[in-house]
This record gives sequence, C-alpha cells and structure tokens, in this order.
Amino acid sequence: MMLDPQELGVVETDRQVHAARCSPCGQYLFAGGFEGEVRRWDLDGEDSPELQPLAGHHGWVQGLAFHPTEKRLFTADSWGELRCWDYAADEPAPCWIQESAHDGWIRCLAVSPDGKLVASCGRDRRVRNWSTVDGKPQYEYTGHEHDVYNLTFSPDGKFLVSGDDRGVVKKWNVLTAECESEFDASSLYAYHRIQDVGGVRVLALDAAGKTLAVGGGKPSRGGTVQAVPTVLLFDFATGELQHTLELGKPQDCYVHDLVLRPDNLVIAVTSGTPGNGQIIFQRPTDEEPLFRSNKLANCHSIALHPDGRRFVVVATNKGSNGNGRRLDADGNYIGNSSPLHWFELT
Amino acid sequence: MTNPRCKTWEHHLSRRHLLGAAAGATLGAAGLGGLLHPAVAGELKQKRKQVLFIWIDGGMSQLESWDPKPNTRFGGPFRAISTSVPGIQLSELLPQTARQMHHLAVVRSLHTQDNSHSAGVARIQRGDPKDRGVTYPYFGSAVARLLGPGNSGLPPYVWVKPGSGGFKHQDAGFLGPQYGALAFGDGQPPENLVKRNAVSDQDLEDRDRLRRSLNQRYAVGRPPRNSEANDYVFDVAQTLMQRRDLFDMESITARERDRYGRNDLGRDMLLGRRMLEAGVTFVKVNSYGWDTHGDNFNGHASLMPKFDQAFAAVIEDLHQRGMLDDVLVIAMSEFGRTPRINGHVGRDHWPEAWSLAMAGCGIQKGLVIGKTNDTGTFVDSEEHDIGHLFHTWFRALGIDPVKTEYNNDGQPLPIAHDDCHVIQEALI
Repeated sequence: MMLDPQELGVVETDRQVHAARCSPCGQYLFAGGFEGEVRRWDLDGEDSPELQPLAGHHGWVQGLAFHPTEKRLFTADSWGELRCWDYAADEPAPCWIQESAHDGWIRCLAVSPDGKLVASCGRDRRVRNWSTVDGKPQYEYTGHEHDVYNLTFSPDGKFLVSGDDRGVVKKWNVLTAECESEFDASSLYAYHRIQDVGGVRVLALDAAGKTLAVGGGKPSRGGTVQAVPTVLLFDFATGELQHTLELGKPQDCYVHDLVLRPDNLVIAVTSGTPGNGQIIFQRPTDEEPLFRSNKLANCHSIALHPDGRRFVVVATNKGSNGNGRRLDADGNYIGNSSPLHWFELT
Repeated sequence: MTNPRCKTWEHHLSRRHLLGAAAGATLGAAGLGGLLHPAVAGELKQKRKQVLFIWIDGGMSQLESWDPKPNTRFGGPFRAISTSVPGIQLSELLPQTARQMHHLAVVRSLHTQDNSHSAGVARIQRGDPKDRGVTYPYFGSAVARLLGPGNSGLPPYVWVKPGSGGFKHQDAGFLGPQYGALAFGDGQPPENLVKRNAVSDQDLEDRDRLRRSLNQRYAVGRPPRNSEANDYVFDVAQTLMQRRDLFDMESITARERDRYGRNDLGRDMLLGRRMLEAGVTFVKVNSYGWDTHGDNFNGHASLMPKFDQAFAAVIEDLHQRGMLDDVLVIAMSEFGRTPRINGHVGRDHWPEAWSLAMAGCGIQKGLVIGKTNDTGTFVDSEEHDIGHLFHTWFRALGIDPVKTEYNNDGQPLPIAHDDCHVIQEALI
C-alpha cells in the first residue's frame, strides 16, 4: 500500500514555477513559471531532460490543462492570455491564441471530459468557456463578485464548478450557464484589517462525481498570512458538507493542490510560512493522516503520473526568505527556485 | 488628586505654548526645542502650509505599486499600466492613482538603512539623523513645531488610525511632549468628549477654573512645560468639543464615502481630508497590515485597490478644492519589499531599493525621480535616503533645511541629516 512514498529523485530548476502537470500520454511534465514560460521535461528520456520551453506568455503562467485525448495543452497567464499548444512538437508553437481571454490574471484552466471546452477563471471575476478547437468563446458564467481562483468540470461534463477568494463555490450548468447551487466554503476566508485573506485555492471532484473537495486554509491573519490548511468535502449532489479535514497548524497555511483518488484518499500539499511544506495522505473518515511528510519546503503543486505509481511535488528551495541584502559569491542578487521532487508509491 | 476619567493623553501639551511657538520663534528660541533661526514662522505665515502623511505600515511592495517590473523574474503577476503622464507607468493595481499621476512625483531611488519594523518605523519617521545622543522628533512633530498649529484651535499634529486613539507624546522626541500626536482611533474623537447633560455650562466653567488653579499651584517650582502641556490638553479638548462635526460620518454623503472606500483606510483618509480642511497642520493617516511575507500577490491584490481608491480620491479632492498647492502629500512605508519571492509566495523587507509617492505643496508634478535596475533589485541612479527626503519636504514647505536648526536646551541640532541634501528635481 502507498503509505510510505519513496522519493525517486529531484529535478532542480533555476527558477520558480507554479503548478506542474503530467501529460496524459505520460511522456512529459509541464510547469508554468514566473517569467511567462512553460517548462517541459521528457520523462521517457534518461534523467528526464528539460526540453525547449513553450515561450510567449507574460507574467505568471498558472493555468495548465490537457486535452483528454489529443496532444494539446492549454496554458494561461496573468496578463489574460490563453494559448493552445501541440505540446509534443520539437519546437512547440501555439495552435491558437486568445490574447484577451480575461482582463488580467487567469487563475486556473480546466478542460471538459469530452475535450470540447476549455474553461478559464480569473481576477476579473469572470468564468468563461472556449472552444478547444479554435479558441472561440462559447459560454460565460456570471455571478461571482470577487476574484475567481479555481475551477473544475464534473466527470460527466454537465457541470462546471468555480470557487472565489471569499469561499463562494458555484455549480454551473455548463450548457445553460445557470448557477444551479452553491457550496459554502466561507470558512476558508477572513477579513483582517483591510485584507481579504484565504479563498478557494483548489477544487477537485472524485472520478464518480460524488464528492467535491475544496482546499484552502482557515485564516487567522493577513500580512504574513496564517491559516490552518483545510479541505472541505461536500456531497456534490446535495451540497452538504460531509467532512472537514484540518491538515496542520496556522503556520502551514494553505492547501495549494490536491488529488481526490477513486478510493476516497485525499492527497494534498501545503505551503506555509517559509520552510513549511507538507505532503499529506488522508482518508475523510480518519482522525489522522495515513502519511504526512514535512521534509520539503513550501509545496505548491502535486501531479500524478498516468502510470498511477509516480507523482511529482513542486516545492521551494530551503532558506527562501530573509530580510535585506543577500548576494552570491559573484555579488549577484539571489532568487529562489522550485525543485521538483519525484516519488513512487510502493 | 488623580481624576479616574483622565486619560494618558490628557497630560501633555500646551496650546498657549504651541501658539506662541508658531507665532515665533522668539518664545521658542528661549525654550526647549526652540528654533535658532527666528524668521521661519514669520515667513511661513505668508501662506499656510499643511501636510498629509499617509503611512502604509508594514511595507508596501514597490513592485506592486510605484515601480513595476512586469514579466521579469521578480516582477510578479501584474501588468504595468499607462498613466495620465505619457511614458510613466504604474502597477495595474493603481488604476485610479494612474489617472492622478500628473499631480504626483514618484521617487524610485529610495535606499535606506533599516530592514526591521521595530527600528525602521521610528528611524524613517524621525528622518534617520546622525546620532547626537538625542531622540529626534517624528516628521509630524517636527512640522508641528516648525509650522505651528495655525488658527484653527485644533492640535497641529493629528494621527488618524485604526485601533486605539490617545495622545502619543513619544513622537515628539526632544521637542517635548507638547508636540506629540493626538490620535483618533477608528475615526472617533477622544472618549468623553461630549459633555453630559447633568453637567451645566456653569459647572463646567467652575470645574475648569478649579483645575487651572490647581494646575498653577502644581506648576510652582516645576518645569513649566508639564503644566502648560496639561493646560493645552484641556484647551484642545474644548476646541474638539466644538468641532465634533468633524467626526460625524453620517453628515457625509454616501457617494463621498463610496468614493473613498467603505473600509478603514477609506474612512480614515476622508477624515484626514476633513482635518486638513479644518486647519490641522499635519495629518497622519495610517493603514496597517502590509507586511506581506506570505501570499504577497493576493494580499496586494486585495490591499492595493483600497489604497488606490482612497489615495486617488484625496488627491483629486485636494486639487479640486484648491488645496493641493499648499498641502504636501506623502505616501510611504518604512521600507519596500524584497524582489525575491519566498516560498510562502511573499516578499520580505527590502530597504535597498524602494519607492514612495508625493504631491502638492512645492513638489513637481508628473515625474519619476530615480530608477532601479531591470529586475528591481537595486537603485540604478543616485540613491536617496530618508534624510534627502526630509531636506526636500522641509524645503517644499518653505523651511530652509540647512539654516534652520532646533535649539535643544542650548544644543543646536540640524532639522535633517547634515550629510543629505535636497532632491532638486523634486521641487518646483
């Protein structure tokens, strides 16, 4: 059983990245970066060599989503641009570009199970659907009053679920664009001084479409944010909150990414005050996690490989913080990086 | 006898002393914290100068505000946007301020000495002068001393802030407690300002006469500023009793409150503007919660719009009321934030290269002073410490920062760091 994942190795990066995702074909790993780039590694090659990145985005690339059957990757940046790529090409070029998909920061992308739609959400409070074929706009889902952080499709493709920075989660009928119901995740939000803190950091549905997982943190303060990392598990049909998993202490802050496995196991990663990161496996009905590791600093993303055995965690280098000047031996200003830690379930 | 209803703040200040000091330096030169240059107050009488000092406590990120570096390693997710001044860009988190850029001067070349809050706040607000074994006054206290209270009867230095109010004598340093800040917490006047119905006007007058008599007896053989400060507090309280309207937010239209924002900063900025209109010399408006070591970008996405709304509104209002030429507006923190993005997706403290904005009295309009390198890590022009800004602000207010000195009980002290100088390009 997979209670003790073994670390296979680390792929070092010279920069920070956000979410990482494995391609459905299993050959590639992609990660969106802080400088408008999408980095790409060949997992079939010896030592998983890094390939030519997908270039052309601006700002942060936080949205990554794959077509379920075709070798297409959809990416989105913090300047509002949405792109579609033939991700396996030696010299990848966009198949199409939506330059102004949103006004500013696109937070998340999701592709419908039938591969026809790619959904996006962002800081402009909008939730939109686009044709995966040519990037033409299809549907708009209006109703969020604040920054929309995350979204996902239901496995049957009938619903789109979106969550915002106040903990409002909406269940949309994909074709009518009507909001059919809401899930109350307001415990993941707090107003501290004049700062809105928290929000829905990740959404996931199980393969059967019965359970909706909403990840984030229960904030106690802004500024140097403190929050208890939390996953709320709802009955997707009724909206009833069934389980609340509190996965750490206030310095552990947010669940940044999670996977909901068919066997009901929640696999989550957290990132808290600098140096604090966790990988957690927990069943909803258990008091304690089946597995918890806090060896990695600031874990921001977890991606399962299609082989079902391997997974990768995007972490941060140790010693990533500090006030004032810190230079390397050559007098250069030191930035941070995001080591990619590969694990295998045994 | 101790009055149990007496607050700490009620034990300082003398209105007579302050009025006397403003009227001149004659009295001041003879007393503690006086001025050695006697012409200052007289010159300043020609045109009433005021200051709005907006303190963003904890450290606003320069990269998410005044000095964006979009699409660079440390630039963050946000775009830069054009402003009302061609060629000058600000962060997209400042859309309303961008439309007021033609009133502003942005300094992008700040290089200061302290990266801690505990020491940095005071060090910046005192102008970080050379160590001469004395505690220098905060800028507010200095301006209160140098410009005086005017004719409003209101205290010369008020501090509008969230949380508790009261009298903050520590700000005054060697100038003495009478130049401290009177803080209005949560937009409220000091407690017990309203006279109870059971107390008649005659009762009040009798009580005040008794208080003054006791105070005079107490003053015999003691340093005069203690008793004068005590008198002054009561004088101020009486004036505030007449100006309770300043705190009546219900008298302000919903539209105006909406323009400033329905949050602590919007409320306090609006009250700050009203204090300026009422004649207060120095108004400090404070916002807390900017120390974004974690979740900096979502934090600034939430914080900056509130600052943007309130700041743009007050600039626009001061301009429309014809006040901006005589009110020096400054918006700043104790330092900026690191270009480096830590694992908590935050930015830490960074005094090496950061920014502030200013406008109004004596300040050039629509320009950027200094620059940082392409990644925003260091200043790539002449560096400016807080001492340079103190020189510049005093000059903008019509005070010669070189010739004017404090007289600390016979010890002449410069009003700004003697190794720094005016930033000439910032001045009209």
